[in-house]
Amino acid sequence: MESVSQFSSRLVSRTRLSDSAFDVELERPKGFSFRAGQSIRIFVGDAGRDYSLAGGPSAGSLTLCVRLVNGGAVSPFLAGAPLESDLSFTGPHGVFTLVQSARPLVWAATGVGMAPFLSMVRAGATGFTLLHGVRCSGELFHRDELEAAAARYVPCLSRETTAGCFSGRVTAWAAANLAPGAYDISLCGNRGMVRDFLSLVDERLAGSRVFTEIFF
Amino acid sequence: MRANVGSGDGGMTSLLSGERVPKSHARIEACGELDELASVLGALAASLAEDREVERVEIRQVQGELLHLGAWLAVTPGSLTLGMLKPPSEGPVEALEGSIERMEKDLPPLQGFILPGGHPSAAWAHVARCVCRRAERRVAAIPAQEALPWLNRLSSWLYVLARHCNQVRGVPENLWKV
Repeated sequence: MESVSQFSSRLVSRTRLSDSAFDVELERPKGFSFRAGQSIRIFVGDAGRDYSLAGGPSAGSLTLCVRLVNGGAVSPFLAGAPLESDLSFTGPHGVFTLVQSARPLVWAATGVGMAPFLSMVRAGATGFTLLHGVRCSGELFHRDELEAAAARYVPCLSRETTAGCFSGRVTAWAAANLAPGAYDISLCGNRGMVRDFLSLVDERLAGSRVFTEIFF
Repeated sequence: MRANVGSGDGGMTSLLSGERVPKSHARIEACGELDELASVLGALAASLAEDREVERVEIRQVQGELLHLGAWLAVTPGSLTLGMLKPPSEGPVEALEGSIERMEKDLPPLQGFILPGGHPSAAWAHVARCVCRRAERRVAAIPAQEALPWLNRLSSWLYVLARHCNQVRGVPENLWKV
C-alpha cells in the first residue's frame, strides 16, 4: 500500500449538522497527504476507528463528517472533547478514490457515507450521478455542495416524503431508474445498501465496476 | 475497511479494481490460496514454543506480505488502483534469503529426502510449504510473473524452517531411505 504513517493532530473546530452528526476539523500535520476518498484511523487510547476524509486533498486542515455512536470508542471523544485536544491517527488508508473512466459514474451514499464523495467534489469531481440516501431531509448534509457538482443528484429519503426527493432507498431508485449498461459505481455506506446494490449490479448491470467502502 | 456483507451469495465477488467476477476467477483462486497460506502460518506460529520469538516475528512479517500480495493480485493490470498498492519487490525476497542463510548455518547437510513431520511446528511448516507451492501455481496461472520470485523463495524458506523447527526442539529428521 502507499506509505501509511502515524501522525499527531488536534481538534480545531466542530460544526453541528444534526442531533447526532457533526463536522469536525483537525489540524493537518506536516507531511500528511492523501487522495480524495481515503480515510484515516483515529485512536483514543488503544481503540481506533476509521473515518473518511471529507475535505479536499489540498485543504489546510482535515475535515471529517462524524455520526455520534453512543458508547462508541472514538466518536464521543470527537463530539465532546475540548477544542485543541490532542489526538493521533494513522493514514492515509484505503483505495476508495475517484475513478477516472469513460463510463457513467454512479455514486451511492447512505448517512455520513457521503464524506468521501464530498472530498472528491472538493478535489474537482463533476459529472456524476449521486444517490444520497438518508432517513429524512434534515440529514442531507452538504446537499448544496454535492448537488452543484453532480450531473444528477437524487436525494432518497427512507422515512419521509418530501417534494423533490425520492421516497425510498437508494437501491430502489437505482433499480427503477438506472438503464441496463456498464457503469463505474462507487458505494459508501451501510452494509445493507452495499449488499443490495451489488445484487442489483449482478442481476441487471453486468459489466459494471463496483468500488465499495462500508461503514460498520 | 471491508466486511462480509453477504453480497457474494450468488457466487460473484469484486476485484479491488472494481470488476465483478465469479468466485472461480483465477485472481480470486490465487487470493484464496494466499489466504489459506496465511492461516496455516498462523497455525504454525501457534505451535511454536514460547521462546521462539524470532520465528514468530518472521512469520508475522510473511503474513503481512501475503496481505500486500493479495491486494496486488486482486487488481486487473492497467488499473489505476495499482498505483496505490505496494508492488512485489526485491526486498522481501532478500529478507527470506537472509533468513534461510541464518537457519542453514546450524543445520546438518541433507542426507536424503525428508518425510514431513516431527515436531508439530515442523509439521505445520511442511503443510505451509505445500500450500505455498499451490499458491505459486495459481499465481503462475493468472499469470502474474512479478509475484513468483517471492513465492518461490517462500516455499524454500518454509522447507528450511521445518528443518530448523525440528532441530531447535531436538527432534530428529525422518529421512526416507530407499
